[in-house]
Formats: sequence, structure tokens, C-alpha cells
Amino acid sequence: MTETIKLSVFRYDPEKGGKPSMQAYEVPFSGAGMKLLDALNYIKWHLDGTLTYRRSCGEGVCGSDGLNINGVNGLACITPIAGLKQPIHVRPLPSMEVIRDLVVDMDHFFDQYRQIKPWLQTYSPAPEHERLQSPEERAELDGAYECIMCGCCTTSCPSWWWNGDRFLGPATLLQADRWIKDSRDEATGERLDQLEDAFKLYRCHQIMNCMEACPKGLNPTKAINHIKRTLLNRKS
Amino acid sequence: MVNKNHDLGTAHSGFNEWYWQRLSAVVLAVLLPGTFILLWTVYLGDLNQFELLDWIDSFVSRLLHTLLIVALIVHAYIGLKVMIEDYVHTGLRIVLIAGILVMMSLFGIWWLALIWAWGG
Ligand code: SF4
Ligand code: SF4
Ligand code: FES
Repeated sequence: MTETIKLSVFRYDPEKGGKPSMQAYEVPFSGAGMKLLDALNYIKWHLDGTLTYRRSCGEGVCGSDGLNINGVNGLACITPIAGLKQPIHVRPLPSMEVIRDLVVDMDHFFDQYRQIKPWLQTYSPAPEHERLQSPEERAELDGAYECIMCGCCTTSCPSWWWNGDRFLGPATLLQADRWIKDSRDEATGERLDQLEDAFKLYRCHQIMNCMEACPKGLNPTKAINHIKRTLLNRKS
Repeated sequence: MVNKNHDLGTAHSGFNEWYWQRLSAVVLAVLLPGTFILLWTVYLGDLNQFELLDWIDSFVSRLLHTLLIVALIVHAYIGLKVMIEDYVHTGLRIVLIAGILVMMSLFGIWWLALIWAWGG
């Protein structure tokens, strides 16, 4: 006898109209290594081809399958089925506009990312070879470069739910800090200028949902506090 | 979520609010227990009514009291303002914040008048 997994999956198709609903599915359990994404793939490939979701790498590096799994944000591809209470409730990331089923509109999220200019900015003339970094300077970026912009943190942040039009959210702020810390970047002052705002940065009230949601084990709260401390050092 | 990019640039005011919020918290953390210690010494009988009044009357006490009230008001005002900004998203926001500012200021002025008019 094969074990079965029970799922309850959010369904919504704005083009068809109607109300969003939860649909029940049963999927065979394929062994200890089975992840939630395997169950969704099984549904799509064997049970119901209309189920829509994003996924690409299947191993936690592309950041495309951030979902709300039993009320907690995470990546379907690295969330083991074994630890989940059944039926497994699978919903799109909270506070996002649903395009269809589990696919949400990430435009605003990436717009905010673009706002912090997530690229190296320099003013000094380019050296003959690359801009060098010592191992210690490189180590400063640990805990930030691993971010895959999945949005699990930002969409779990109450401050972003209420003021997401202006508050940049943990993912973007973690990246802002990544560039502030980068020893090769020469626009630190401008970066800080652009963040000194009651909404963009200081809307974070250290609720720490972001840290708990991050599937890569990163700590955006710490990064946000580092930005605040850097601003403090600049003023006093 | 909102799709349009609502970026209005930077207000350059977030830091000050955050800074005064924290600074006032430190002042409160230092001075507020003082009032309880004072009460405590009265209950324990280490301080009688006249000694208590003498202490409240003293210049140092009035100064500390003033600091405490100012810190309390700054802290409460910023705290309430931030909460309103979190949850109120209409034009009502400004009205509420202004209302709180007026009420807090009146309360502060009244209390400071009490402190400095006391006893004469
Ligand atoms: S710590 Fe800040 S960014 Fe993280 S969830 Fe809380 S309010 Fe949001
Ligand atoms: S910090 Fe973590 S949760 Fe947030 S976007 Fe990056 S990887 Fe995802
Ligand atoms: S599919 Fe790439 S992170 Fe899950």
C-alpha cells in the first residue's frame, strides 16, 4: 500500500472570475526525500494540468517558488513533505496580488529592489585589473549575498503589509545593506541618503517575522539594524 | 500589492524620529524607576510627608521631573504617530497626528506649570 499525501491548494483564476477557493488533492508519497514541489509537480503532471505555480531550479537557488505553506512562508522545492501537518495548506505569498493560483505579481517587489540600485557604483578610475577585496572584506558580505530574492521575508512582514507601497521591506533592505558593506562600492553616502526615511527604512519595528521566514537562514533584521547604526554613526 | 512605483524620494526625517524615540526611552528607563523608589521609601516609612514634600520642592527634583515629563511626551507622541502611520492610510492620518500633538503639548505645558508653580 502506498501512503498518500493530502493537500489543500489555493485556486483562483481572475479571468474566469468567481471567488478563490481551496482544492483538495491526494498524491502518493514517494519517499523520505520528497519535497512539497514534488507533490505540486505530481498534481500538475498527473492529476490537474490547470494548476499554476512558478518553479525553476528545484533546489532552492532561483527563488521562484516562494509559497505560504501551512501558514508559514517557504520554498516548495526545499520543504520536506515529511515534516508537514496534513492536509498541507498551500497558498500564494501573503499580501500579494494573485495572477493565477499560486502565481503572484512580483513587479512592485522588484521595483523596490531596483530603487536601491543593486549594483556596484564607483567613481575612482577603474584599475587595470579587477577591484580587489581582501578575504576579510569579502567575508562582510556573508549572510547577504546568499539571498535569492524569493520574497518569503518581505511578504511575511506586517510593516510591509500595511505600508508596502513605501516601506522597502526586509529583502530589499538586506540587499541595500549588502552594498553599503561592500568595500569596493563608492556610493555608500548616497545609498544612506536614499534610505533615511521614516517609511523606506524606519517602518521596520523589529518584529523579526522576516528572519523566521527566510528559507536560506538569513537575518534581514540584523541588516536593517546595521543600516540604522551606520546612519547613527554618521550623525553623531 | 501596489503595482505602481510610489517612490517619492527620501524625506530625510526618519533618523531623527528614531533617534529621539530611543533617547527618550533611555531617559525614561533611568528616571521612571526613581519615582517608584521614592514611593517605596515613603511606604517603608523611611521618608515622612514633609521630607517627601521638601524633596519634591527641591530644584534638582523639579529639574528631573521636567526631564521625565518631556521624555514621556516625546516618547508617547512619536510612538502614537508611528502607530497611526502604520494603520491609518487616509487623510485622517494627518488630522489624528496633529490632534495628538496638540493634546500632548497641552498636557505637557499643564504638567510643567504644576511642577514649577508648586509651593513657590
Ligand atoms: S524585522 Fe522589520 S523587516 Fe523584518 S519582519 Fe519585522 S518589521 Fe519587517
Ligand atoms: S532574505 Fe531570505 S526570505 Fe528574504 S528574499 Fe532573501 S532569501 Fe528570500
Ligand atoms: S524552484 Fe528554485 S528556489 Fe524553489
